[in-house]
Amino acid sequence: MTTQEVRLCGLLLREHFGEVVEKVGTHLLRSGAQNLRTIIHETGISLDLLKKSLCVLVQHGVCVFRSGRRGPGAPTEYLTSCDQILRILRYPRYIYTAKTLYGDTGELIIEELLQRGEMTMSSTVKTVANRLTQNMEDGRSMDYSEVSSAFCKLVETHFLQRCPPRVGAGKAATPATCKTPAPPASTTLPTPESFPECYSVPQVTLRGHGKRRLSNEDGEEQGNAKKAKMDSETHGDEGIYWQVNFERFHLHFRDQAVISAVANKMDQTSSEIVRTMLRMSEVTTSPTATCTKPLSANEIFRSLPSSYNIARPILDQYLTLLVDDPMEFVGKAGESGGGMFVVNLHRALANLARATLESVVQERFGSRSARIFRLLLRKRHLEQKQVEDFAMIPAKEAKDMLYTLLSQNLVQLQEIPKTPDFAPSRTFYLYTVNQLPTARMLLQSCYKTVANLIERRLFETKESKRLLEKSQRIEAILASLQASGAEPEQLTEVEEMITAPERQQLETLRLHINKLDSAENQVDETIFLLESYINSTVTS
Amino acid sequence: IRNLCQQFPHGITDQVIQNDMPHLEPQQRAMAINKLLSLGQLDLLRNSSGLLYRMKDAQSTSKMKGSDNQEKLVYQIIEDAGNKIWSRDIRFKSNLPLTEINKILKNLESKKLIKAVKSVAASKKKVYMLYNLQPDRSVTGGAWYSDQDFESEFVEVLNQQCFKFLQSKAEAARDSKQSPMVQRNSSFATSHEVWKYICELGISKLQVDLSMDDIETILNTLIYDGKVEMTVIAAKEGTVGSVDGQMKLYRGVNPVIQPTGLVRTPCGLCPVFDDCHEGGEISPSNCIYMTEWLDF
Repeated sequence: MTTQEVRLCGLLLREHFGEVVEKVGTHLLRSGAQNLRTIIHETGISLDLLKKSLCVLVQHGVCVFRSGRRGPGAPTEYLTSCDQILRILRYPRYIYTAKTLYGDTGELIIEELLQRGEMTMSSTVKTVANRLTQNMEDGRSMDYSEVSSAFCKLVETHFLQRCPPRVGAGKAATPATCKTPAPPASTTLPTPESFPECYSVPQVTLRGHGKRRLSNEDGEEQGNAKKAKMDSETHGDEGIYWQVNFERFHLHFRDQAVISAVANKMDQTSSEIVRTMLRMSEVTTSPTATCTKPLSANEIFRSLPSSYNIARPILDQYLTLLVDDPMEFVGKAGESGGGMFVVNLHRALANLARATLESVVQERFGSRSARIFRLLLRKRHLEQKQVEDFAMIPAKEAKDMLYTLLSQNLVQLQEIPKTPDFAPSRTFYLYTVNQLPTARMLLQSCYKTVANLIERRLFETKESKRLLEKSQRIEAILASLQASGAEPEQLTEVEEMITAPERQQLETLRLHINKLDSAENQVDETIFLLESYINSTVTS
Repeated sequence: IRNLCQQFPHGITDQVIQNDMPHLEPQQRAMAINKLLSLGQLDLLRNSSGLLYRMKDAQSTSKMKGSDNQEKLVYQIIEDAGNKIWSRDIRFKSNLPLTEINKILKNLESKKLIKAVKSVAASKKKVYMLYNLQPDRSVTGGAWYSDQDFESEFVEVLNQQCFKFLQSKAEAARDSKQSPMVQRNSSFATSHEVWKYICELGISKLQVDLSMDDIETILNTLIYDGKVEMTVIAAKEGTVGSVDGQMKLYRGVNPVIQPTGLVRTPCGLCPVFDDCHEGGEISPSNCIYMTEWLDF
């Protein structure tokens, strides 16, 4: 957890939940797990406000609480982590993915769930259906069952999951409790009223994937059962709350990144093959595996969408090409069944991260520095003279570039003395690139960049606050006039209250904010790539 | 002894002389050798097995006619050095004063016995070598140097041309609508093909003869640019462009990703990124780069 991360988290929290929550959140980030009393003492926020903001954080899965370290009965401690908060940055992407995969309904379901943190299925379905109905033409309405089937689909593909039930102390002993259909609602949500109870009952939060899977399966059954109930107008799912499965979305993003990289490098058809392979192994491969389960060429052939029209020999050729490619996205695991193939996820991520680093160097220091950078990545350790010779860059320029890269920490210098006295004349100076630390460093600057962008956006909005308020007021007046059936002249008169320059200013502001927003999302893509590379390298 | 030396043009050792002319006393032998040495007809060489005597070839002796002893000495030093020798090393080896050496060197140069070359590694050093020798690559720097300057433009042009060649080849292969395997294989070009293409283009303005190796170094820079990949395949001995039964194949490739999101923002390229803090002299709110970018 670094300063940059904390700063970004603070900004994100402020934007979504307001200043108080930001204060609490950043305080928790800075000081680690703390109990309620300490937080009050150190932040000086009133108890009521603090409880509410902690609730918000818990509701959104950003903050967890656990019983105190000093055994049962100790005050409950609250803990947040940056990773959870940084997901807020990715919300637009989750929503967009849901839209592309499951249409408007999916989009709205995810959006609602993201906004509320966790919800019961029945209320989600109701809100979404209502919102869809509002946008539709009069006379038509969205059926509940349609929305709930979309919801079930999302659950089936693991994009949604049940919130791990927070089990009371008495039940904590049996791990099977997460299978009990409906834990009492009062313990699920630590609302302010139930707070005294939270103190006395140490809470156990079930995290970890195995359990989550269980709850997923459980959820599917529940979903099916519920659909039947839905028709008879009873909900019966109070207490079962659902949340967005971020991990699943991340896996999806990762797969997308690999597929698009293959499409860039090779061609569309090979990317479709990789897509098919990834889809086939979606369920069978654990999310942290370095490569997918082996798939035979026959299986791949059968699962290819028929619209692509790829003949069997062509498929074999493509697979060979993919295996031969130096990026090593696809590896060969065996010969049985027409050849067993795996998608080497870890290698793919490492390659993508490397390409990202290269592109950063290329854009920032020019293509010749990028040449040196790639050269060092390839040959590991090189002396300055060798760099000049291999890269065919005049000594003077090469020296300059190397030193710039070195000062930016993109390149490291390793000294190997011939004698123990480290005399410069008797020492080899080897330049090298360490991919992992460099990726970490870039990740930090990504965080800073996003924070900068957000700050700039807030600044832009603040600058033209008056204007924005005015335009909002006028829009409100217009709407009310229209509703009351005012005459057109009146409407134009009100409209003209915003002068032309003001209108223009609003327009540029809109443009600026859009640009900043899209830039934030782009940087987030980089962040995602680097994060998954770092995670996969650390675990493997 | 002289006859003996002529029999062994590569030189003979003390032992050989002793065996051939057992009647000679060591003293007499030494005297004879010294006489020949002073006449400049014999060379004294030192190798692993001891001292070695060798006849001087008549040609060089004739060249040296009319030079005094010191000149002979300097010439010999330069000759022994073979490839090149730095003037300071000459001074150390000959133990002559600097002015003397300069005079001698100038003399020899005017007689076209030696020549001065400028090295690329250190442009200030004067390096001498025999007149009839070609300067080594380490001195001239190979094809990439002219007048000991690195021809970076030349390299860039070649770099671009090679890439163009490989790219057009790859595109032609992609358009050919053949099976993927054939497509890939036909997008490869051997280094020999690239070499031929470049030679026919006639970019090499300085009448520099580019060798295959030179082209391969250029192609290697393209690999480091991430624009080209290389594979090595086995080739039949005697095929054009094969070296040691191997053939290097190159092909142009597409980049894996677009410029990443970070560098599409001004912060990704900002020169004062580290000094940027909210509330500081440089801050996101008053950043001029950001303003320019937003108004773009």
